[in-house]
Amino acid sequence: MGTIVGNIIAIYRKELQSYFQSPLAYAIAGIFWLLSGFFFVAILLGPEGIVQQVAMMEAQAQQMGFRVPPVDVAYEFLQMFLQVMGSVSLFILPILSMGLYAEERKRGTIELLATSPITNWSVATGKLLGVVTFFATIVAPLLGLEAIALSAANPPMPFAVPLLGHLGLILLAASVLSLGMFISSLTDSTILSAILTFALVLFLWVIDLLANSVGGPVGDALTHLSLLKHYENLIKGVVDLSSLILFASYIVLGVFLSAQSIDALRFQQS
Amino acid sequence: MQQNNKSSGLTKLIPYGFPIGPLLAIAGLSAGLVSGNWGPIPTGLVVGGIAVFIVWLLLALMFAEGFWNKRSTEVGTNAAISTLSILVVLGLLNSIALRNPVRLDLTESQRFTLSPQSQQIVKNLPQPVTVTIFDRAPNPSDLELLQNYQQQAPQQFDFRYIDPEQQISLAQQFEVKSFGEVYLNSRNGEKRQFVQQINPQSRLTEAKLTSTLEQFISDRTYTVYFLQGHGERPLEAGSPGSMSEAVQALEESNFVTEPLNLAERTEIPENASVIVAAGPKQPLFEGEIEALKAYLNRGGSLLLLIDPETNPQLGNLLEEWGVQLDDALAIDASGSGRLVGLGPAIPLISNYGNHPIVRDFSNGYSFYPLARPLQLEEVEGVEQTPLLISAQESWAETNPEQQQLQFDPERDRRGPLTLGVALTRTVDEAADSQLPTPPEATESPEAEEETEATESPEVTESPETTESPEATESPEVTESPEVTESPEATESPEAEEETEVTESPEATESPEVTESPEAEEETAEQTPDLDKQARMVVIGNSEFAADGRFELQLNGDVFLNSVNWLSKQNEETLSIRPKEATRRRIEMQPAQARLLAWMAIAILPLIGFSAAALLWWKQR
Repeated sequence: MGTIVGNIIAIYRKELQSYFQSPLAYAIAGIFWLLSGFFFVAILLGPEGIVQQVAMMEAQAQQMGFRVPPVDVAYEFLQMFLQVMGSVSLFILPILSMGLYAEERKRGTIELLATSPITNWSVATGKLLGVVTFFATIVAPLLGLEAIALSAANPPMPFAVPLLGHLGLILLAASVLSLGMFISSLTDSTILSAILTFALVLFLWVIDLLANSVGGPVGDALTHLSLLKHYENLIKGVVDLSSLILFASYIVLGVFLSAQSIDALRFQQS
Repeated sequence: MQQNNKSSGLTKLIPYGFPIGPLLAIAGLSAGLVSGNWGPIPTGLVVGGIAVFIVWLLLALMFAEGFWNKRSTEVGTNAAISTLSILVVLGLLNSIALRNPVRLDLTESQRFTLSPQSQQIVKNLPQPVTVTIFDRAPNPSDLELLQNYQQQAPQQFDFRYIDPEQQISLAQQFEVKSFGEVYLNSRNGEKRQFVQQINPQSRLTEAKLTSTLEQFISDRTYTVYFLQGHGERPLEAGSPGSMSEAVQALEESNFVTEPLNLAERTEIPENASVIVAAGPKQPLFEGEIEALKAYLNRGGSLLLLIDPETNPQLGNLLEEWGVQLDDALAIDASGSGRLVGLGPAIPLISNYGNHPIVRDFSNGYSFYPLARPLQLEEVEGVEQTPLLISAQESWAETNPEQQQLQFDPERDRRGPLTLGVALTRTVDEAADSQLPTPPEATESPEAEEETEATESPEVTESPETTESPEATESPEVTESPEVTESPEATESPEAEEETEVTESPEATESPEVTESPEAEEETAEQTPDLDKQARMVVIGNSEFAADGRFELQLNGDVFLNSVNWLSKQNEETLSIRPKEATRRRIEMQPAQARLLAWMAIAILPLIGFSAAALLWWKQR
């Protein structure tokens, strides 16, 4: 048991190191920050931002003399921002996951991995942990920005919902990365892997649209597969056990399939 | 065709094959979404696209890796079996989790959780119930609410969205008139009930849905009597100013409606849940008022809609409840009504009190053409809740005939005015508070006999009536017959010097009054609290509930909710509060906001890009 954990940690460290020494990773982080920073400002502070909108609505209501239902600006902002973050991640995550195995294939190091004494699933777990950590790291500064904004909330905002929302984001990322890792293990072209992952995730994102038209028990099952639905549940502040299990299923499935795919490679090579 | 091509030069074609699947699927999806019609072509495209994608994926797997043709098929089958088994395990896990929902609502006000009352009702539904919504597309918040209900009892509760333009026969069966109508129906289709009309201003609410559910499953009928015979609004459609729409709406909510003519029968029927007096123009007889009082004293409910410039002689009845009808017209000069084409004499109400009747209205509108303001005075034992509160820039105009409506500080009362009020009184206390109103109470037996005959001669006796203290307060009260009998009238001035309470022994003389409180005390001990409660809603207008006005804005809801509350059914569910967010603002200093914006847009991305550039430079 100890060796397995040790192995996972070893892989994890190696992966992390490679991220923090890779210009591509930083460039991705830069793009991610630029996009989400832009949305952050637009949603919160811009002329169409929620602070302005609510102030305007309230002034209007006062003038007209009717009562508006109370608005929780901090909560609404968090909803909108996390929703946008989810969509932005949709583009970024396939780029992060594309090189996980495809790169090794291209460089020819995959044979080493496949024949090494470390089990394939510990390799996959280590890789996944590494890339999820990297994603969490690039989300962290945004969390800092949000914390600054939310600290100006009056009355103060409880932490439960924002934290749950970000946990949701990390879970979503882990699911997408896990599936992306599997796709990356199928091909030695990183671009192909990224595009495929993107297509798959987009499909899972909007599958409930399709499910609505199908209807019946099949439709219900398809709706349940939707990433968006469960993500929205979490960022709203509702923990549904079935959402957590679905995300966990995607993660486990991705790791398992990656390990299987490398396993197949090992037998093929030996 | 796709596959035929592949079988010839498969390995070469694989790289080109991959976009076709997603392309087809996306084409199908967009075709379906745009047209909104999932006919065979879009569905076929989607399904075909997915199939091609899967085939391609399998082929890519096999050929790119030499999966099958190289090393043993044994490994391959093992892998397939283990993959399959893990899929089955994950699928089972997910379906178990779906069947047994465990939810934790971390929001402050539990916004996404049903109240305990709703959960109770849904879980204990005796028969399967379906909510049918006739609308084009579900609204997310409505959908959320319905799903929450469904989660409580998936077997017993479900819902469906029906487009009335597509499923015409079903819409006809439900007699749907417009988009957004919501019905409850039993699954066998035998029974159905209207819930509410949803639109962007008023969404589906938990209070409404649960209370309708409760009505739907209960067998008890509630009868609403409409008082007749004093120029009240007619109930039949067609006659001018009738209330047929209101009556129909009540019947859709499972109420039984009956006209009630107290001249024909002196007693209020036992089964009366609510008595409605909708715009009486002529005075009610003394005996009728007594009957109403007795009815209230046994825990009855009364809805009074009284227009300005009418005199139904309800002054002394209302006095007991601390309500006085202003002899004035409510003028709304705030101008908010003008935006929707309403004049100053039609107050537009958007400010509602805190009461189950108006709790859902938050910022909706209702309007009252020619309304009469009310004045409230605290009376012990009576709980008064203003329902309809007019705008700040309104006043009670005492001289509406003048050319230019203008606020006259000497005569007119400043707004905001109360145009509607909900009153409750526990009957136990009512027995006590009944006592300090002696002259009316004591004289009532005689009055009953004589009012029919002598109604007019007040004018001649006015000097005498001024002596009696009550008469000075309400000059309209026709106490003239009693005054001529004088024994009581002479007593009253003395009584004035003492307290009015000392007169109470006289009240015991009247048989009706003494009997009824005792009767209540007996029944009150046995029956639940609610039966001890007398309720009244007074609104200074009846036009709002008349045909043509009833279905506009929230007018109908004001009327229906009032009757609903008065009927004392589903007390608990009516009090479910809509889940409102905490009012929270982000208050940032401009400097702080600017710093934040710069950090988000410039500094953070720059750090990322420069680190990338630096590393790239170093590694080169």
